[in-house]
Amino acid sequence: MNASIAARIALRELRGGLEGFRIFLACVILGVAAIAAVGTVRSSIAEGLAREGATLLGGDAEIELTYRFANEGERAWMNEAALSVSEIADFRSMALFQERRSLTQIKAVDDAYPLVGKLELSPDISVSEALAMRSGQPGLVMHPTLAERLGATPGDTVRLGTKEFRLTALIEREPDTRSAGFGLGPRTIVKRTSLEGSGLLQPGTLFSSLYRLDLPPGADLSVMKRAAESALEGSGMRWSDARNGAPGVAEFVDRLGAFLILVGLSGLAVGGVGIAAALRAYLAGKVRVIAILRTIGADQATIFMCYLIQVGLLAAIGIAAGLALGVGVPVGLASLIEARLPVPAVFALYPAPMIEAAIYSLLTVLIFTLWPLAQAREVKPAALYRDAEAANTLPELRFIAATVTAIATLIAAAAFFSGDLWLTLWTAGGIAGALLLLALAGTGMRHLAYRTRRYTRGRVALGWALAAIGGPGSTASAVVLSLGLGLSVLAAIGQIDRNLRDAIAGDLPEIAPSYFFVDIQRDQMPGFSARLERDDGVDRVDAAPMLRGVLTEINGKPAAETAGDHWVLQGDRGVSYAASLPERSTITDGTWWSANYSGAPQVSFAQEEALEMGLKLGDEITVNILGRDITAEVSSFREVDFSTAGMGFIMIMNEAALVAAPHSFIATVYAEETAEAAILRDLSEQFPNITAIRVKDAVEQVSDLLAGLASATAWGASATLLTGFLVLIGAAAADQRARRYEAAILKTLGASRARILSGLALRAALLGAAAGLVALVAGIAGAWAVSHFIMGTQYSVVWSSALFIIAGGATISLLAGLGYALGPISVRPAGVLRARD
Amino acid sequence: MRILEAISLDVHKGDTLGLVGPSGSGKSSLLMLMGGLERASSGEVRALGQDLSALSEDALARLRRDHIGVVFQSFHLIPTMTALENVATPLELAGVSDATERAQAELHEVGLADRAGHYPSQLSGGEQQRVALARASAPRPNILLADEPTGNLDSQTGAAIIDMLFGLQARHSATLVLVTHDPGLADRCDRVIELHDGQLTERPQAPDQAARAL
Repeated sequence: MNASIAARIALRELRGGLEGFRIFLACVILGVAAIAAVGTVRSSIAEGLAREGATLLGGDAEIELTYRFANEGERAWMNEAALSVSEIADFRSMALFQERRSLTQIKAVDDAYPLVGKLELSPDISVSEALAMRSGQPGLVMHPTLAERLGATPGDTVRLGTKEFRLTALIEREPDTRSAGFGLGPRTIVKRTSLEGSGLLQPGTLFSSLYRLDLPPGADLSVMKRAAESALEGSGMRWSDARNGAPGVAEFVDRLGAFLILVGLSGLAVGGVGIAAALRAYLAGKVRVIAILRTIGADQATIFMCYLIQVGLLAAIGIAAGLALGVGVPVGLASLIEARLPVPAVFALYPAPMIEAAIYSLLTVLIFTLWPLAQAREVKPAALYRDAEAANTLPELRFIAATVTAIATLIAAAAFFSGDLWLTLWTAGGIAGALLLLALAGTGMRHLAYRTRRYTRGRVALGWALAAIGGPGSTASAVVLSLGLGLSVLAAIGQIDRNLRDAIAGDLPEIAPSYFFVDIQRDQMPGFSARLERDDGVDRVDAAPMLRGVLTEINGKPAAETAGDHWVLQGDRGVSYAASLPERSTITDGTWWSANYSGAPQVSFAQEEALEMGLKLGDEITVNILGRDITAEVSSFREVDFSTAGMGFIMIMNEAALVAAPHSFIATVYAEETAEAAILRDLSEQFPNITAIRVKDAVEQVSDLLAGLASATAWGASATLLTGFLVLIGAAAADQRARRYEAAILKTLGASRARILSGLALRAALLGAAAGLVALVAGIAGAWAVSHFIMGTQYSVVWSSALFIIAGGATISLLAGLGYALGPISVRPAGVLRARD
Repeated sequence: MRILEAISLDVHKGDTLGLVGPSGSGKSSLLMLMGGLERASSGEVRALGQDLSALSEDALARLRRDHIGVVFQSFHLIPTMTALENVATPLELAGVSDATERAQAELHEVGLADRAGHYPSQLSGGEQQRVALARASAPRPNILLADEPTGNLDSQTGAAIIDMLFGLQARHSATLVLVTHDPGLADRCDRVIELHDGQLTERPQAPDQAARAL
C-alpha cells in the first residue's frame, strides 16, 4: 500500500464536491453540535459557580449549625480564625399582610451582612437603610413573588409572628442564594435583632444558624476546614467553602449535563446509521471506479486507505462545523441564556466539552464506517463486466475487532467524561439494545407487510405501499432505525413524566395531609388541638415532638464506614421521642420500650433504611442534637411509609432521652379542602409563631421541577429525532431514483398522479406510524421499568402521549417522504424508462 | 434537436406495424408518442379518436390503463412487486374486482403460473419479459406497443416471446406497433415503416409476406 497515492486518489475523488455527502456531514454536524452545546453550557455554569463561589456562599467559608446558635467558645474560634464573621439565622415562617398569609423563608441577618457581594433592592437603597428601625417599626425586604402573593408593595406594613415590619424594598438579586430557585417559601430578609418580641426564633424553633467567615487573604481552605473540624468537634457543624459555593446546584447541573450528553450520544448513534447509509450509497456508486483501480494495480489496502482518508476528511469538516455551531450558539446567545438561568454562568470557549464532543463523533464515524469501508476492499476487477454491486459479506475479522475496539473506547470515553460508569453502561446497553430491537422490528415489519399485501384487494394505493414496504429494496429498516431511537426516548419521557406527576399531583393529595404545622411550642399544643378537634372538616391530626439531629456514628465509628453515603447521613434528620408506640405504627423487629422507661437511650429505627444502612438490632448509633451527642441502642425496627407524605420519623427515641432538650412539636392535619382556609387563618391568628406548610403547594413545586427535568430531556431527545429526520431525508433521497422508476412504470400502466402520490404518502405514513408503534412499545417498557423498579409508583399507559408518538412518527416520515414524492409524480415516463434501457 | 419532423402515419385497428431504422432514427420516440408517454412539441397525435396532445397527464394515464399495453426492451417490472402483483396492478388500477384471479390466468397463459410469487430479481430475462407481456395484455388493450421486446434476450428466448406477442395480438384483435432492429421480425408485421433522420417511409410488403413469415 502506498499512503501518498491513496491520499492523491482520495483528493481527486473529492474534487467532484461533497454532493453525496450532505447527509453524512449533516449527521456529524448535528451530533457534535448537540453534545458540544450541552457541554459548553455545563462548563459555563461550572465556571460561573466556581468564580462566584464566595458570593454564592456569602463568605470565604461557612459554618452551619442546626437548631441553635454558636456558643461562646465556638464563636471565639471563629472570631480568631476570620477577619470578620457574619451570623445569620435561616428558618421558615409565615408572613401576613391584611388577610393574606404566605409561607416565607426568613433570613435574619446581622450588621455585617452581606460579607461578600451586594444585595440588590428595588428601590435601590442600602441594606442597612432597608432594614433599619424607623418610627419604631423595623424594616424588611422580600422577594417579589412573596410580595405578589401577599398583595403588598413597599411602604406597606407586614407582620412576622406577632410583630409588625415595614416592607421597604423588594429583592432584585440575593447574592448568597444556593438553591437555584427551588424552595417553598420565597425569601424575606430582616435584622435578627428586629425579631425580638415577634415570638419567632424561640427555643425549639427549627432553624439553621450560618456563620460566614471572611478569611485572611491566601488562607488555605482545606487547612481551615480541618482546623474547624478539630476545634468544633462534636458540635454537629457543617463546613462549606468557596471552592464549591453551591455544591447542590453544581452537582445537579453536572449530573443533568452528563445525562443530557448521554441522550446526545443516542442522537450520534442515529446519526451513525445515516453516516453508514450515506457511505454505502456513495461506495455503491464507486464500484466501477474501484474495479478500474483494482484492474490497473491498486491493492486492497490502497483502496481502503483511499476511502478512509475521504471519510476522515469529511469527518474533520463535520466535526469542525459541529463544534463551531455547538459552541457558537450558546456563546453567541450568552446574554439571553444568562438572563434565564437561575445560577451564574461564564460563557466562553471551553476546550473540554469540545474535545469530548470531537472524540465521541470521531469514534462514532469510525464505528459506522469501518464495515462499509472494509467491504469496499472486496470489490473485484470483474465488477467491470459483471453486475456492479458492492460486496455485502462479513468483513475480515480484524475489521470486526477494530469496530468492537472503537465501541469499547467510546463507552470508556463516555464513562470517563460523565464520571458515572453505571449510567454510561446502562445508556450504552440501552442504545445498543434499542438499535437491535429496532432493526428486528424493521425486518418484522417487512414480513408483516409482505404477508398482508394479499388482503388489500381493491385498495390499490395501500397494496402498493405494502408491496414497497414488504418487497426488495424496502426502506422499512432505515425508517424504523432512524426514527425509532428518538421516538423511544420521547415516548419513555412522556410516559414517565405523566405517571410521576399523576402520582404526585393526582394520587398524593388524596392520601396526604392538608397542612404540616411546625414550630408549635409545648404550651401551645392544647390550644392547637382544641381548635382542630371542634372542626368537623378535620378528619385526623397527628402530632409529635420534633428535633433535628445528625447521625454521626454507628457502634463508635464514623457512620459512613457502615452506611456509606446513604441519604439518611446527608445532613440533619428529624428525630422524635415517644413513650408508647405511636398510632398507625408497626414494629417489624425488636421490642418497644415500656411506657415509663428511663434507662440508657434507646431508638426505634425505620426498617427499610436500617436494612439499607446495614444496621442491626443492638447496634449503637450516635446522633448529634443541638451540639450534644446522644448515643442510643437500636431496640426495634418500624415500618415507615414516606410515600403518603404523612409524618414519618427515621428515628424515634424513648421519651427520657430527649424530653429535656429544647424542642417544638410538628403536626399534620388532614382536613376537607373547604375547611383548610379557616384552619390556617385561626391557627395563624392564635399562634403567630407557628408555620404552616400547605402540602398542595409543595406538590406543585415538585411537579414543576419534574416538568422542567422532563422538558430538558425532551429537548435532548428532540435533537436525536432531528438527526433521525435528517437520516430519513437521506434515505428518501437515496430511494428517490427507485421511486421515480416505479412511478414511471405505474404511469405507463395507467396510474394517475394522485394515486401514485397517495401510494407514496401511505407508505411513508405507515412506516412512520410503525416506527412510532415500535418506539412506543420500547418507551412503555422503559417507563414501566422506571416506575416499577426505581420510583416504586403505579404505572398506567398514558394514551394521549402514546398517540402523540405514533402520530409524530407518521408525520415526520410523511414530511420526509412527501418532500421527495414530487419528483416521482412529475416524471415523464418515457424519459425515465428509456434511460434504463 | 428535432427527432421526428413532418411525418404523418395512420395505423388501423387490428394492424400489425413494424418500425425499423438505425439507432437514433426516432423509432422509440415515435412509439412513446403513440402511447402518450412523450408529448410532441408540435403536431397532433390521435389514438382511439382522441387527441393525445390535448389530454392531461392523468387523462393519458387513464387512456393507457384502459386501452394501451406497452412492452419494453428492459421489461420494466416493478422490483418491489411479485410477478402476480405486477400483472394485477393495471387491473387493480382499472378497478377490476377479480384482478388477482385474472392476473393468475394471464401468468398461466405465458407459462409462468408457478412463478407468480417471485420477485423480478428472482426471474430470468425471458421470464421477466413474459411477465411484462402478461401485464400488457391483461387489461385486453386495443393497442399493444412493443419497444424492441427481444433486445435483451437470446435469440431462442426472443423468438418465443415474439410468438407470444403475436399470439396475444391475434387473440385480442389488438393493434400492434413493434419497434425492432430485426428485419425478419419486422417482416412478420402487416406493414413496415422505416425511419431515417426523423423521416419515415413505408416499405412495400408483399401481401403474403407476413403470412409466410408466420
